[in-house]
Amino acid sequence: MGLSRGDRIARLALLALAVASLAAGVAGGLARLGVASAGAAAADHGALMIAGFLATVIGLERAVALGPRIALAVPLASGCGALLLLLGEPSCARALFVFAALGLVAASAAIARRQPQSHTLLLAAAAVALLNGNALYAAAAPAATVIPWWFAFLVVTIAAERLEMTRLLARPRWAEGVLLAITVFILCAAAATLVEPVSAAVAYGAGLVALAAWLTIFDLARRTIRTQGFARFAATALLAGYAWLAVAGFAWISSATIEPRARDLALHALGLGFVFSMILAHAPVIVPAVARVPMGYAPFLYVPLVALHGSLALRVIGGFAQAELRRLGGVLNAVTLALFVVSIAATIFAARRRPGRPAG
Amino acid sequence: MNDFTLEGDAALRPAIEQALRRVVDPEMALDVLALGLVYGVAMREDRVHVRITMTSAACPVAGLIIDDVQHELAAALGREVQVDLCWDPPWTPERMSDSARAAMEWD
Repeated sequence: MGLSRGDRIARLALLALAVASLAAGVAGGLARLGVASAGAAAADHGALMIAGFLATVIGLERAVALGPRIALAVPLASGCGALLLLLGEPSCARALFVFAALGLVAASAAIARRQPQSHTLLLAAAAVALLNGNALYAAAAPAATVIPWWFAFLVVTIAAERLEMTRLLARPRWAEGVLLAITVFILCAAAATLVEPVSAAVAYGAGLVALAAWLTIFDLARRTIRTQGFARFAATALLAGYAWLAVAGFAWISSATIEPRARDLALHALGLGFVFSMILAHAPVIVPAVARVPMGYAPFLYVPLVALHGSLALRVIGGFAQAELRRLGGVLNAVTLALFVVSIAATIFAARRRPGRPAG
Repeated sequence: MNDFTLEGDAALRPAIEQALRRVVDPEMALDVLALGLVYGVAMREDRVHVRITMTSAACPVAGLIIDDVQHELAAALGREVQVDLCWDPPWTPERMSDSARAAMEWD
């Protein structure tokens, strides 16, 4: 069941497209902090990061799992959407984002049909959340109504993947029902943002805190943290991410009620602290799986992981105390992401050079 | 534990098991036999047929695990190996080996 040269090139090109979307999104973030010159990327930082970069990597992951080549149209559409946004073609970009989300719903539904279980149904629900977010973004709805859907897409996707992994570990029968209730609650809170923004934000934040508690209690990571090598590294990244998820939940509630300055903390504790920590935990396996090359792991990967959480902490403290510190934290966030991309590429390259199973 | 079925020379089972134990899911830190992913191995005239499942249909690592199973069995048996991914019957935690279940706090 080897991979043809053409398929591998297509997958690598889509990974490159995802990295380009990430670079554009990070440039937009730096422009918002006043570090880089402002441009289209600054206004569309959230769209580039979530509808562009993250939808592309998740779409690629889903397409590889599903199999048929046509499924690669999903990440191709979201990646091209990000590029068109940068090139000043927002209408085409927004249409492509909606098309990509529709494709992700179809791909996720096909997987749910193949294996009709709670986690695959949750993946399909997460894709619908992306579709809602992208449709609102295409309709030029206020960011405050789009962002809860975009993050719901990411949070529910991760919840689904962890639900699947935690099936290995013994847990009470009610645990799965509780997780499903939490994810439905988060999706309802995202929907309620349109009509009752403050109450919805409080509910959304409470849902994130509840999810962090569930993951900390029931995830396989609390078991695999006691192993070695990659499994331990992944568990460390997962557990650190769950701590930031709880912080994001409390900050989400605060930013809507008593402390508007907590908004930057809410968005970045969730986007960087939680979501990117999950990406760090899985990229050393998923990227080689997509490119179909042997997996590589080196303890050096702890460097970008520690840098991610350290620079985010600096940014958070700076957000409340000193603007310069916040800016420095933001710049270090960007450096960390670059270091992470280089580290993953280096471990894969090193694995390919090791004697053993030939790639492909 | 649901052991895999072996069609063919039973004397080859130890070599097959040894080869399959080298294929490890990286995040779970468990091999495909301990996870109960292998349903059957059939020794045919021209090649070895393997039926295998995954814990999730949304798992993009499936292709890499299949490549590893092919490589390890081909190296151990000196024959061409064909791996078929199947979803019926679906994987359940009961398929894990006794030691894996104990490690995952079952029973």
